[in-house]
Amino acid sequence: MKKRLYIELENCIGCRSCLAACTQCGGHEERNRNYVYDVNPLVNRQTMPLMCLHCVNPACARSCPAQAIQIHETGAVLSALVEKCIGCQNCTIACPYGIPKFDTEQNLMYKCDLCIDRTKDGIPPMCASVCPTNTLQWLTEVEIEAKQKQFNLDNGKWVTSMPYLENETNVKVNLPGILQGVTKLF
Amino acid sequence: MESKNVNSLDNAFASKFAKSMFLAVLGLIILTFIGTRMFTHVDLNLYGYMVGTIVFLGGFFYRFIAWGERPPTKIIIKKGIKLLFRKSTPKTSVEHLATYRFIWNRGIYRWTQHFLIGWGCLLSCMVTFPLVFSWMYFTMTENGYYTIVLFGMNIMTVPAEGLIAQLSYNALNISALMVITGVCMALYRRLKNMQARADQKFMYDFLPLIMLIFISVTGLALTFSNVFLHGWGHYAMSLIHQYSVIVTLIYLPFGKLAHIPFRPLSVFAKNYREHYGEQSMKACKVCGTEFVSTEQSNDVIQVLGVNEIEFKKEQFHLAELCLPCRRKYRIAQFSGFPTHEVKVKEANQNAKG
Ligand code: HEM
Ligand code: SF4
Ligand code: SF4
Ligand code: SF4
Repeated sequence: MKKRLYIELENCIGCRSCLAACTQCGGHEERNRNYVYDVNPLVNRQTMPLMCLHCVNPACARSCPAQAIQIHETGAVLSALVEKCIGCQNCTIACPYGIPKFDTEQNLMYKCDLCIDRTKDGIPPMCASVCPTNTLQWLTEVEIEAKQKQFNLDNGKWVTSMPYLENETNVKVNLPGILQGVTKLF
Repeated sequence: MESKNVNSLDNAFASKFAKSMFLAVLGLIILTFIGTRMFTHVDLNLYGYMVGTIVFLGGFFYRFIAWGERPPTKIIIKKGIKLLFRKSTPKTSVEHLATYRFIWNRGIYRWTQHFLIGWGCLLSCMVTFPLVFSWMYFTMTENGYYTIVLFGMNIMTVPAEGLIAQLSYNALNISALMVITGVCMALYRRLKNMQARADQKFMYDFLPLIMLIFISVTGLALTFSNVFLHGWGHYAMSLIHQYSVIVTLIYLPFGKLAHIPFRPLSVFAKNYREHYGEQSMKACKVCGTEFVSTEQSNDVIQVLGVNEIEFKKEQFHLAELCLPCRRKYRIAQFSGFPTHEVKVKEANQNAKG
């Protein structure tokens, strides 16, 4: 059963387990590819994770002159191929979320590859496996649909990828709690 | 619309492909004509390589013309050629294409393996191709002395047992040993190292390594058969070797080895960033930090437009924000609170693995 990364943003408590876990996936060379931001840093402690959303029509790959960013058959948008990336940094400028990171010394871009080492075999990505608050989940289409129904707002307030952000994305993002005042039990 | 500069040479051919192919084959023939002193020194044992090279050129142009038509590639090639004569070009070229300094920064093991493979292959090509097309050959005019002839000119005369002669006879053996060592290192890494194993595929990552080692081993076997077996099996082995080289050449434009003809673009990319960075930098529309050249920012926005991707917001295109502001802007889209307007630096984004 095909599963997707699903993000419930407001659950995040800022523990940064996902950053630490990201360094440990095979092929990551011990460098994390995700981010955790304070929403209103001078006022409260609400945080939210930010990772590659694996766009269906990825700006990073479209802007790469070297075709170094490949799209996996699962839809994951992979990190730069090490022998192809020519270090132009177009992809970092193109990504609408500022996800790709660039290493000047190695002349190489690296980004979230949805832990392809794991997800190609149906194992959840590192960040989702360690997240203690269910901010990052690994769900089937059916489960995601149920989430969408459960939190169907229908008030024009959707700002996340259900339905879409800029683009159609393979990772689904949701903000059900904050917008609906739902209290969650887990 | 700009009026196209119509070139009569372009009109003579059905396609770019036909033109490139014609010019390349013509070039080869002319060089060979000169090199062989009007075809008087052709070594027909090497005929297979000649056919192989021509088929390779077909694949090469087919693949690279298609690739050069992609909008971002077109821009970097066009501007790269314009900027080719920057002062820093020689230094950048050496670091990117000869000493592979950036691979050193990825790891000494990876650098050693690539240095051996890359220079081993280049060395063999530098010896093999001039021999194949008879651009270079050896003659013995005086007993005990060889004359090296390059493009029909006598370059030097060396004693047949001397150091230079020994190095020349053994150049292909030395390069074969370099490639074998490098490929074994690469194979070992691909089998043992968890970082390398993560997303490798047999066809993409192992096949080129196997082909390279096959070429090198059959090449060395030729020497072995000459020196130790008095030429036994030499003919069959030379055919096997020749076929393996031809197959690799034909494969080259398509798989992992396609990076070889196309890596010089990394020099273009560096020049492009340096040159336009000196001209004018783009300031982030939110925090004012200069983060990329204006030229590159415009080029990326244009390329995205060609691909029907528009990230235009009310006050800016997303590509006009520096990376931290762009990420914060996204958080603002998630939460409804304008995080990007709070003047606090992003904290704690790099975990230590
Ligand atoms: C024009 C100069 C060249 C450049 C700039 C270049 C660049 C690169 C880079 C950056 C990598 C990735 C290395 C890593 O990160 O570990 C690579 C891999 C590789 N290169 Fe080159 N290369 C060049 C020429 C060659 C040549 C002449 C060959 C010979 C056939 C070659 C064969 C390979 C192979 C087999 C790999 C894969 C190694 C593996 O399995 O990990 N390269 N190259
Ligand atoms: S979010 Fe950015 S890095 Fe990820 S696929 Fe989309 S454009 Fe590429
Ligand atoms: S930095 Fe590398 S991956 Fe990114 S666009 Fe340039 S060549 Fe492609
Ligand atoms: S999916 Fe994997 S690579 Fe992407 S952010 Fe999560 S841990 Fe990192």
